[in-house]
Amino acid sequence: MKRKLMVLAISLVSFSGAATALDFGKLLEQGINQELNKGKQTQPDASQSAATPPAKQKIDAGQLGFALFGDYSPEEETRIGRQIAGNLLGAVPLVRDDKLQHYVNLVGDWVAQQSGRKDITWHFGVLDTEDINAFAAPGGYIFLTKGLYRRLNNEAELAGVLAHEVAHVTLKHHLKVLKQSSLIGALGQAASNRAKSSDQVVQNLIGNGAEIMARGLDKNAEFEADRVGIVFAARAGYDPWGLPEVLQDLAGLPAKDSRTSLLYKTHPLPADRLAALGEAVGGRLDAVQGKDLPGRFYRIK
Amino acid sequence: MKTFLIPASMLVFCVAAASALAAPGTVLRNDKLYSQPSASSKVAANVPKGASVDIVAKQGGWLRVTSGTSAGWIRLLSVRAGAGGLGGAGLGDVVGAATTRSDPSRVVAVAGLRGLNDEDLKQARFNGAELAKLNAWQATPAQARSFAAQAGLKTADVAALPAPQPAQTSSSPWEDN
Repeated sequence: MKRKLMVLAISLVSFSGAATALDFGKLLEQGINQELNKGKQTQPDASQSAATPPAKQKIDAGQLGFALFGDYSPEEETRIGRQIAGNLLGAVPLVRDDKLQHYVNLVGDWVAQQSGRKDITWHFGVLDTEDINAFAAPGGYIFLTKGLYRRLNNEAELAGVLAHEVAHVTLKHHLKVLKQSSLIGALGQAASNRAKSSDQVVQNLIGNGAEIMARGLDKNAEFEADRVGIVFAARAGYDPWGLPEVLQDLAGLPAKDSRTSLLYKTHPLPADRLAALGEAVGGRLDAVQGKDLPGRFYRIK
Repeated sequence: MKTFLIPASMLVFCVAAASALAAPGTVLRNDKLYSQPSASSKVAANVPKGASVDIVAKQGGWLRVTSGTSAGWIRLLSVRAGAGGLGGAGLGDVVGAATTRSDPSRVVAVAGLRGLNDEDLKQARFNGAELAKLNAWQATPAQARSFAAQAGLKTADVAALPAPQPAQTSSSPWEDN
């Protein structure tokens, strides 16, 4: 028994000896872990971090290129979004149809003008895949797939889909996710100090390629984007039922359709979204008279 | 699936195509069937959450449905398309059975279309040429305003929708999963 205690004591001493030799990166890691574990249960191995005080004051946000604890500026947001968009386009190219792409930009920008955000330039693109999905990246980069576009019946439905994505941008949903992961990303940068170009800094922040688009958001963020998006579309003069109709259409698709597998990995099921939207809307949009514009809707050949 | 979609697009032009629609639906919350597509019209019946309905027509934010011997208009957001009740995946399982399981060629066609997945996105490399195309297709705010005006789109004063109350019943979709 005594021997066992002795061994334990020795190992503890040697461990803490190693800890004092650790570099700034380790200190930062502990500070970051504390930051990330705020509000969570303290980990059993917390005795280690108790031995080394957190190094909050040593995090130089300016040096890292991006604020860790403050807000991203519109310029930073655009740089992040541009990198994510460029990566996403590396996985799926844009549909080669000038009329389609210009049409989607005209509708999208009009919807985005109702969001009240004027400090960013909005970009919209249709991705050349039969997958059914839509994506938003910070800074106003918005995409929907050809597979989803084909299912739309009128301009109000397109406006509804784009409005949901615009809402993700104005509500800064992805930036909030990045804020969490930037605490981890900063560790690598500070420890290695190998972030040579600003693009590298951004890439370190967003992880591999466009994987942030596959990770998805909290489901409450999706419900919120539905709730806010439907209002943006209505404010733009469209029939507010465009987005619900798209959700109805998706609800009627076979459950095992491979075209929707990523969509349902990252979004609540359409029935849940319709139900949540129904709770929020009730009779509040009864008086809204919007336009569907089926005649003007651009149809893919 | 197709039998619902094709008439649904026709409905935009022609509500009279109603009888051809008849798609299954499931009621998402306790609600009323009204005699007209308006909450100020007479209540024809009450329908409980989980009830199966047949959707026969659509008008604005309203669906005309039949439920057993009752018929009337219900709010679009109180129903989801597809049968199977509330306990299922929430997707069109029954409709799906008709289009995939009973038609072997269809199964192959769907399975052969491998969609976007995590790995594709993770491996993706920055494509500056595509991004340049995206920039080239961008519309200016003035162009977008003019395009909206061409179709008679006018901005409407619509209030933001309230966030759901945190203290809802445990059956709320906000607390599931």
